[in-house]
Amino acid sequence: MLPRSAQLVHTLSPRSGERPPEAGPVPAAGIGLRAQHHAEILARRPSVAWFEAHSENYFGAGGAHRAQLAHIRSHYPLSLHGVGLSIGSTDPLNTDHLQQLKRLVREFEPVLISEHLSWSSVGGRYLNDLLPLPYTEEALRHAAARIGDVQDALGRQILIENISSYLKFECTEITEWEFLTALVRESGCGILLDINNLYVNSMNHGFDAYSYLDGISPAAVQEFHLAGHTLTQRGGQDIRIDTHSTYVASEVWELYRAALQYFGPRPTLIEWDADIPALSVLQAEAAKADVMMEPFGAIAA
Amino acid sequence: MLSLPELQARFAATMFGDTTEASTPWIQVAGIAPELRLEIYRNNLQEGFTRTLALEFPVIQRLVGADYFRQLAVSFLADHPSRSGDLHHIGAPFAAFLRGQFAGTTYQYFADVAALEWAWQECLVAEDDAAVDLNALQAVPPQDYARLQFALRKAVHLLESAFPIMRIWEANQPGTSATEIIELDSGAEFVLVHRVAGGARVTRLSPGEFALLATLARAEPLEAALDAALACEPYFDLIDALRRSFELGIFARMSFPS
Repeated sequence: MLPRSAQLVHTLSPRSGERPPEAGPVPAAGIGLRAQHHAEILARRPSVAWFEAHSENYFGAGGAHRAQLAHIRSHYPLSLHGVGLSIGSTDPLNTDHLQQLKRLVREFEPVLISEHLSWSSVGGRYLNDLLPLPYTEEALRHAAARIGDVQDALGRQILIENISSYLKFECTEITEWEFLTALVRESGCGILLDINNLYVNSMNHGFDAYSYLDGISPAAVQEFHLAGHTLTQRGGQDIRIDTHSTYVASEVWELYRAALQYFGPRPTLIEWDADIPALSVLQAEAAKADVMMEPFGAIAA
Repeated sequence: MLSLPELQARFAATMFGDTTEASTPWIQVAGIAPELRLEIYRNNLQEGFTRTLALEFPVIQRLVGADYFRQLAVSFLADHPSRSGDLHHIGAPFAAFLRGQFAGTTYQYFADVAALEWAWQECLVAEDDAAVDLNALQAVPPQDYARLQFALRKAVHLLESAFPIMRIWEANQPGTSATEIIELDSGAEFVLVHRVAGGARVTRLSPGEFALLATLARAEPLEAALDAALACEPYFDLIDALRRSFELGIFARMSFPS
């Protein structure tokens, strides 16, 4: 059994064997866990404060990847990040998916559990993408109730992440940060603030990223994500696509520094999910985040 | 104003191509035409689906080439969209889809190769049930062998094909240069996909071994399995075949019918 004390929110520190993590908040930079790095992590035990795994990548009943995750978990704190629960969908909540997640949570005792402010299925068909919701009263009530159901099923709070989007719905009534704030109030969830997604949306939809930071309650923000995006053009206009395939952009680092000022240091994840580089590249990005957090009282990995 | 269910249904309909409705007044224009905005999501859907399918069926992709594989994946997506938040499952109906696509053509072997690749994928994530070893069999009195039933481990898959699917599979693994000419009519192959430490393995079986294991997999007793093996291999060596099966860790448990 893994120690239950590892569940302390905000407490993400390296573990040694079965020794529970130090008490108190220790925000530091972690790395998105990819299967191609499993063996290296286990062989080398690199100095990484924590790892975050995509829940769905470990939904299989058994096999080497699951066994490796268990091994990694015995040496590092872990966060489980879902991409497929389709929380915003108007289909019934997928109870099989939720049961699978529950099984992972029971087995791996993640420090944090997160999902997205999005939907990915309708009529039983899945697009397996993070699709935007309209920011309306109806969507708010729906998403808050669904998050409540998930939290009830898991018996603990989850974090909800803001997504990148490439369109806005006509019926949208309020801003994304107003929607998120209301969602926190209605459901009791926390916020996983993806700084890259925030930047991408501020550019794609023309709003002030600092107004967004200003509109979010610091107490609700429990984790940051940092990732790379791609600038492209559609119809002669710039549009930024959240690709997770490259380095964190300098504008996003700048916004991250501002977020640290607004919210204080928080566990910060380096995400890189396509054209995945060597682990050392991810460690260097994480070290950058640690250095930026230091003046705010964080303890680097 | 569209309700949330209506809005999601319309969005999905444009993604899956159910509708030819060009008008999308429910999306803000804001400098970029809604159709171009939707195109980003349609591209994500098709690329994500194709990428996952290619990871699950690398040999099929190598056989048909990346461009044609993408076309196949997009038409497969239209017939068999993902039904789960976990993309892994999309590959389950791919072999049957290929069987339909290439029935009666020289490419009908694609379906059997795809079935082998899917068995490999399923083997990788199957439940970690332990193998019983040969000592357990030695504890059984010989007069009871005939009634003995064997449960195969969850990771074990048995495949038979009229085509040399294992040779095709081997010749198209990463790092191999596929210069070998494989005659499609060179005879049937019987293949076992099973768990080894750290992953999966493909092992060629004799027709008798396949008949033995396939019969055991249907929960029939050893006597019936031996009959099936002898029917295709008159000189079938049961002791040898069982020893090999135990060495490969195929069985999860042995029992007698209740």
